[in-house]
Amino acid sequence: MHLIVLSCLKATELIEKRMDHKLNFVQNLQLTMHKSMCKACLDYEKQSFILDDVLKHPLHKDVVMIDLDKFKSEIIAKISE
Amino acid sequence: MANSEVVEWVDKYTSDLYNWAYHKTSNAEMAQDLVQDTFVVAVEKIESFQRKSSVKTWLFSILNNKIVDFYRKKSKAHISFEGSFLSNFFTEDGEWTNESKPNDWNQDDAHLLDDNEFLGVLKTCMDALPESWSATVKLKYLLQKKGEEICKELEITSSNYWQMIHRAKLQLRACIEKKWFLEN
Repeated sequence: MHLIVLSCLKATELIEKRMDHKLNFVQNLQLTMHKSMCKACLDYEKQSFILDDVLKHPLHKDVVMIDLDKFKSEIIAKISE
Repeated sequence: MANSEVVEWVDKYTSDLYNWAYHKTSNAEMAQDLVQDTFVVAVEKIESFQRKSSVKTWLFSILNNKIVDFYRKKSKAHISFEGSFLSNFFTEDGEWTNESKPNDWNQDDAHLLDDNEFLGVLKTCMDALPESWSATVKLKYLLQKKGEEICKELEITSSNYWQMIHRAKLQLRACIEKKWFLEN
């Protein structure tokens, strides 16, 4: 790998890793340099943060209602086997 | 014959347990299976239940274990990387291909979570991931744990884990951009 210039592939890998742990000095420098020159990776990072945020929440707003009484009877039948 | 105490719990807690399982799986059928399994375990283990915690807390801890187990099993299925995957996104030099270059979404995420259509797209795109990837991603956010701990939990190496998260994010991002931002 080039000391300063990072490919977009490597840059996006580092963006994902950084969500979880600190990068070392060189990696940080490489990533900062790369993002200052590459709009696509800068956008990738923004969007990766958005995804991170939305994935912390459930993928739906409303719970699908079920017939609870029927479900309870099924459970009772099951545990009575 | 089922323990009459457990039968009473079924009546009292099924609704809360189901809602919780649904929130964690976004799938009614799966949520019902997990709740049912929870009561099966409760019957088996009732003798060892020390009553130091409330019944509700105890049942929820069984359910949470079931939910994590469920994703763990799935995440272990076939962790393999197709060599051609990255070439969908990057050239040989590691630069974005023209078709895969991220576009500016021009949006902050503040309203996305309230948008049912967006959540629908997100779910479709999550379902389009290979099953073991989506299970790993869900487990990551479900457990809210650091990468190292999840690797231990899943018994995979850290580099395997990061490779998977990176690829899952690449594919998810592209799918959402295509289905949501470019069509809206």
